[in-house]
Amino acid sequence: MDFELSQDHKVLRDSVREFVEKEIKPIAMKIDEEHMIPDSLVNKMAEMGFLGSYFPEEYDGAGLDMLSYAIVVEEVSKACGSSGVLISAHTSLACGPIYTFGTEAQKKKWLPALNTGKVIGCFLLTEPDAGSDAGAISTTYRREGDEFVINGSKIFITNGGYRGTGVLFATSDKSLKHRGVSAFIIDLNSPGVEILKNENKLGIRGSYTTAFALDGVRIPAENLLGQEGQGFKIAMDTLNGGRIGIASQALGIAEGAFERALAYSKERKQFDHPICELQAVQFKLADMYTRIETSKLMTYKAACLKDAKKNYTAESAMCKMLASEAATYVTKEAIQIHGGYGFICDYEVERMFRDAKITEIYEGTNEVQRVVISKMLLA
Amino acid sequence: MKILVCIKQVPDMESRFRPNGDKTWYDESDLAFRMNEYDEYAVEQAVQLKEQLGGEPEITVLSIGPERTVEAIKKALAMGGDRAVHIRDDRYYQKDPWQIASMIASYAKGEGFDLIFTGMQSQDRGSAQVGVIVAELLGIACATTLVGFSYDGGTITAKRELEGGIKGVAKLKLPALVTCQLGLNTPRYPTLPNIMKAKKKEIASLTPAELSGEAELTATAAIYPPAKKGGGLVLEGEIGIQVDRLMGILKEKTAVLR
Repeated sequence: MDFELSQDHKVLRDSVREFVEKEIKPIAMKIDEEHMIPDSLVNKMAEMGFLGSYFPEEYDGAGLDMLSYAIVVEEVSKACGSSGVLISAHTSLACGPIYTFGTEAQKKKWLPALNTGKVIGCFLLTEPDAGSDAGAISTTYRREGDEFVINGSKIFITNGGYRGTGVLFATSDKSLKHRGVSAFIIDLNSPGVEILKNENKLGIRGSYTTAFALDGVRIPAENLLGQEGQGFKIAMDTLNGGRIGIASQALGIAEGAFERALAYSKERKQFDHPICELQAVQFKLADMYTRIETSKLMTYKAACLKDAKKNYTAESAMCKMLASEAATYVTKEAIQIHGGYGFICDYEVERMFRDAKITEIYEGTNEVQRVVISKMLLA
Repeated sequence: MKILVCIKQVPDMESRFRPNGDKTWYDESDLAFRMNEYDEYAVEQAVQLKEQLGGEPEITVLSIGPERTVEAIKKALAMGGDRAVHIRDDRYYQKDPWQIASMIASYAKGEGFDLIFTGMQSQDRGSAQVGVIVAELLGIACATTLVGFSYDGGTITAKRELEGGIKGVAKLKLPALVTCQLGLNTPRYPTLPNIMKAKKKEIASLTPAELSGEAELTATAAIYPPAKKGGGLVLEGEIGIQVDRLMGILKEKTAVLR
């Protein structure tokens, strides 16, 4: 058993790190303040191949693996959680299901533009009355000739504001519960798609979180993803992989806060000594680092299992849970180590604290993760 | 056109440096490694020249060092190198610039390179000798510390950095070797698709014994951290006088005001 990254993964990590240091870190605070990731950064990330990391080269992906993708999201999130989730939602939730469940024609049609970042992808599952209970969605579809007609609304859609390509879930008959759900590929510029608003949020403020109204939106029949009635399975499978992305985002946020707290504890002097000489601070650092390393091991393990085409359902739930709880813990303690300065925006750990919280909630709350893990145990 | 770029993997300058057991090199156990910064300028310039010439030149990347050196080689290939030669040598740090240059020249001799790029110096040993010795051994033209490079019809126009901020311009006919300085260019980031492509590029492996049996001319007697000075220099007195003294020190001892 070898816990070292391969040489190829190290080259990738160092290259991404270099890019993040120069291109993202200096503007992370601005992204949070202005509630927007500049197009120039989205374009640069696309040129770097961050938006198609683990999809084959024949669909204009980079052709790398899931572990590479996890490393990209982690490194980007060290500097900016908003940019991290842009990559994660785009890759895992939009490209992912099209690649896994799409026909060859669908993959050829939609993936190249997504993988090269020409359009940004999103995942339209959540509704005002259907969050953790995803089988309860009430957005409907009905067949009319060679089209499907969609009516309903979607909320909390990460990346929705880009109006790119979405993977949309709708039901033919709500009384069928999850058995009535189907998945569609939707161009969000289609007539009838209306953006109601982009939400104002506690954290990841640079990331769009969009509410949509869908009013008689016509989707060509060829855009049905998988079979009719297979939508719930597609959604669950997709979120399964997505959790590795969110774990990586949370891990990166935790590491970013930890790096700052560690450096600050060496610089900050009180009682004539750097505060890192105080055992009270040392214990915090030890606890923070231990949670980070534990999360990293589980996240990389889940990614490696997926790469090896083995079952990774429990591991992806565990890494998402571990890493998100590490992120809220570590960012909170990072502020504490900074004292009053940590509460000031200039020191950035307060932003990381705000960014961390959502990772315990989205792509399955941590309560849902615990359900997934215990189901595996009791099956 | 055949281009050779010589690179070295060096410790990340933010690492904690300590002498090793026999005090002839750094203790490598705590170090992170990366491509020597000046060599990144060399790789970038080679790739820019390849692009200028419509992709015709073939770029070979060469590095000497242990197994981990492959990481630096792969980065250079992901930046645009076509193939690589790794001279596997775990004892690289015991070799002096003459021995290193002799190995490179011995390899390059049979290959007929038109143009060789190296960094101006390595960030760890910092001898700044390897490039010029290679040029001498191959009997080709050489210009050092390039901050500007252009190529047209077999002639290189090299802008060089001289003392006191003065620049010089040298013209060289191929074959030639140039060493690259900070400011020459901005190295590109390896993109994910190019990292993937680099995996398929050839990395040939050679041993030092196949290349050169030259003995060392200079042996490292010892490396050691400087004795700790107490607290540095503290300027005191009226603020205007402090500013004047600080300006004087910055002008005299540093390049920041030039």
